Amino acid sequence: MNWRSLVLSAAICGLASGGLAHGAERHTDPTTPPLTDAVTPLPWKIGGAFELIDHTGAARSQVEPDGRMQLVFFGYANCPGICSAALPMMADAADILETRGIAVTPVMITIDPVLDTVGTMGPALAKISPDLVGLTGSPEALAEVHAAFQISFEKIMNDPQHGPIYAHGSHIYLLDATGRVLTLMPPVLPADHVADIVTKYAKI
Amino acid sequence: MRMRLLMAAILLPLPGAVQAAEGERVQIRGEIIDTWCYYSGVMGGPDAVTGTAHHTCALWCSAGGIPVGLLGEDGQVYMVLRIEGDDGSAGGDMQLRLASHEITADGLLYHRDGLNYLVVEKVVTDHGITKLNHEDYGPVPPFAIPEPKE
Repeated sequence: MNWRSLVLSAAICGLASGGLAHGAERHTDPTTPPLTDAVTPLPWKIGGAFELIDHTGAARSQVEPDGRMQLVFFGYANCPGICSAALPMMADAADILETRGIAVTPVMITIDPVLDTVGTMGPALAKISPDLVGLTGSPEALAEVHAAFQISFEKIMNDPQHGPIYAHGSHIYLLDATGRVLTLMPPVLPADHVADIVTKYAKI
Repeated sequence: MRMRLLMAAILLPLPGAVQAAEGERVQIRGEIIDTWCYYSGVMGGPDAVTGTAHHTCALWCSAGGIPVGLLGEDGQVYMVLRIEGDDGSAGGDMQLRLASHEITADGLLYHRDGLNYLVVEKVVTDHGITKLNHEDYGPVPPFAIPEPKE
């Protein structure tokens, strides 16, 4: 085990013990900039068509079957790291948006089809939110979507408690109902901030 | 110091999709921070979640997948998309090595949805960890440094 693995082990212990979720105590937030229309197109072409399988076993492409916008995150269902923060935040943002009359589906696309199968993903995601849709598929199909979204990940170690542990990209992508990428967001934003960003695109 | 070297930004109306484009060439000096703890406020105020006080936790968070940011001297946070050859925003060897370090970064700046995104093409200078605040705050949070098991 190298030093990086040791650091990650500590990370997982810290996150799992509440490093992300603890925090009943809050402090003055740093100044966050107001939303503006200032936009620079991002430096990469991101997104594309995919053919995957959802956590119920149904085929699913980049097109949202009910015509909803989509918040897409790449990770794995039992990830104790950033996924444990990003996925609940996405579900919370979707709830906020629903009160604004904006329908958004939070989606997690797995980075490990062995870890996330049709049988295992649903129950794990349901513990976070019943609204989360999990997508898995063949290694080839997933490799295509990972390449399209330029998702990098690396298996770091096997944790006795959590199984395989990955370091992986963690940005959240906003897709329209046809699967076109509208923007990306860091997973550290509060749910209401994400909802505000999505609202802006929903009005376009 | 932030130097605008070249205004290469292509400012378009709100885009329909994310497209490839040139950013704005900038040099920004600031600290590589843990954006989760900085934005969430759960571990303390902004001054406590930077510098040596937060160094261990910053390593944890980056390794756990949380994107790093560059807290510029102008007080702005620049979300780091990539640093030099490390094509991730968190957990890479470069991101871990630079945690809490003050650097001068040369790269491309993108504005989107009220946020700043930075592709660091070159770390011009690594000034090291310059904010020494652990004596003021101790380790933040205290459990960042596990108690040794007896």
